[in-house]
Amino acid sequence: MTDPLITRLKHLIVDTLHLDGVTPDDIDENAPLIGSGLALDSIDALELVVKIEKEFGIKIGSSEESRQALASVASLADFIRVRAKK
Amino acid sequence: MAGPIASETVLLKACDCLTPFGGSVETLTALLSGERALQTQPVLGREGGDLVPLALLPGRALDETAPPSWLAQVRALLAPVNEAGWGTARRPVFVTSSNFGAGSLYAYRRSGDAAHMGYGALVNCVGWLRQQLGWQENVTIFSHACVSAHLGLLQASRVLQAGLADEALVFSFDFLSPFVSGGFNALKILNADFPAPYQARATGSIGLGDGAGYAVLSRTSGDFAIVAQSMYNEMHHFTANQPNGAGFEACLAPLASQAAGRRLWLKGHGTGTLDAGRMESGAFAKVFAGAPLVGWKGSLGHTLGSCGLVELALALAAIRHGRTPGTIGSAAPTFTAEVAIDAFANDRYDGVVCASNAFGGAHAALLLSHA
Repeated sequence: MTDPLITRLKHLIVDTLHLDGVTPDDIDENAPLIGSGLALDSIDALELVVKIEKEFGIKIGSSEESRQALASVASLADFIRVRAKK
Repeated sequence: MAGPIASETVLLKACDCLTPFGGSVETLTALLSGERALQTQPVLGREGGDLVPLALLPGRALDETAPPSWLAQVRALLAPVNEAGWGTARRPVFVTSSNFGAGSLYAYRRSGDAAHMGYGALVNCVGWLRQQLGWQENVTIFSHACVSAHLGLLQASRVLQAGLADEALVFSFDFLSPFVSGGFNALKILNADFPAPYQARATGSIGLGDGAGYAVLSRTSGDFAIVAQSMYNEMHHFTANQPNGAGFEACLAPLASQAAGRRLWLKGHGTGTLDAGRMESGAFAKVFAGAPLVGWKGSLGHTLGSCGLVELALALAAIRHGRTPGTIGSAAPTFTAEVAIDAFANDRYDGVVCASNAFGGAHAALLLSHA
């Protein structure tokens, strides 16, 4: 069964970054988000971080934490779950 | 391809800076005592936000005022050299900053107060400053992120070396605003932690600081000299460096030949970010093996486009005083053994390399020595 948070994040990534020609289903939840097939860069990462903080009401504390959270869609979902519990 | 090097020596007739501690002498004294100007405060000024380390001039709030609250302090900084004649054909002025009045643009957007617009754009801001300081029309403006001041020094040197001027005033200023601190906070490199330049730790962080500085360059007069300068751009990425650190090395390497035979100490950029700190200190250790490396942004914060001039003035003051402040805010372990945590006597050295780096893969460095 598909994880609803993973699905939500894939939609959020496509919508936030205006990824032309990419659908949520195209995103491999375990593939690296930055510097992989999606061709996202650090500016995209910045946009994503701002959006995720706002959308989920969590705080990402440092660039290293941001890098860890954005390693993949799956790791981002894990990060949000842990932070949302705090 | 390596950047240009000023092939002839340019003399440093006068040089000073402005930080929250005061001028270069007061700032040097504070740094030698290990004092930290950075204090945690709301990243968006009166609008609040995360608490982050910022170093503001005494009595100055982060929020913009009209006219800008830093004018009186800038006027006092420049008073010793601001005699008539700057901005004329033979005495050009080079003004550099990474921000100019960007904060005023932001203030205008927030408040709708048109008074902010007079300072809110690069040309407006410098034009207004020129009138305030009595300069004539020969004023050139440079902005190249955090190597802005180095670019001003290099261009002024070229003008002097070409015989187009007798003296040149290079002035740089960067005063913080919620626009700037908020931007770095969004990048997550300005966070709740104080910076620890070149320290190998789990997360990196920077601080930001108000800063301004000037140098009067001359063809004929001055006890100190900028012996060589180098600028280089990696052309790799807007916010990231080449992962192997080659850009840092490429900028420093041309100075090594100019420095041959000199015993050097090194003043690095050292903002407190991890990747850049590791690459920069590694490049220094490779190009200038064994030379002690210090960074002062753990106390003063990053003064952005003006850091090149602020820290040049401090390096000069350190040489005159005979002691170099250590890397305040940092502790072992450091990325390289050459990082000097503590202050040291510099009378056995006969030169210092001062380096700055910037977004966009830009690198700059200069070699300062007795004339």
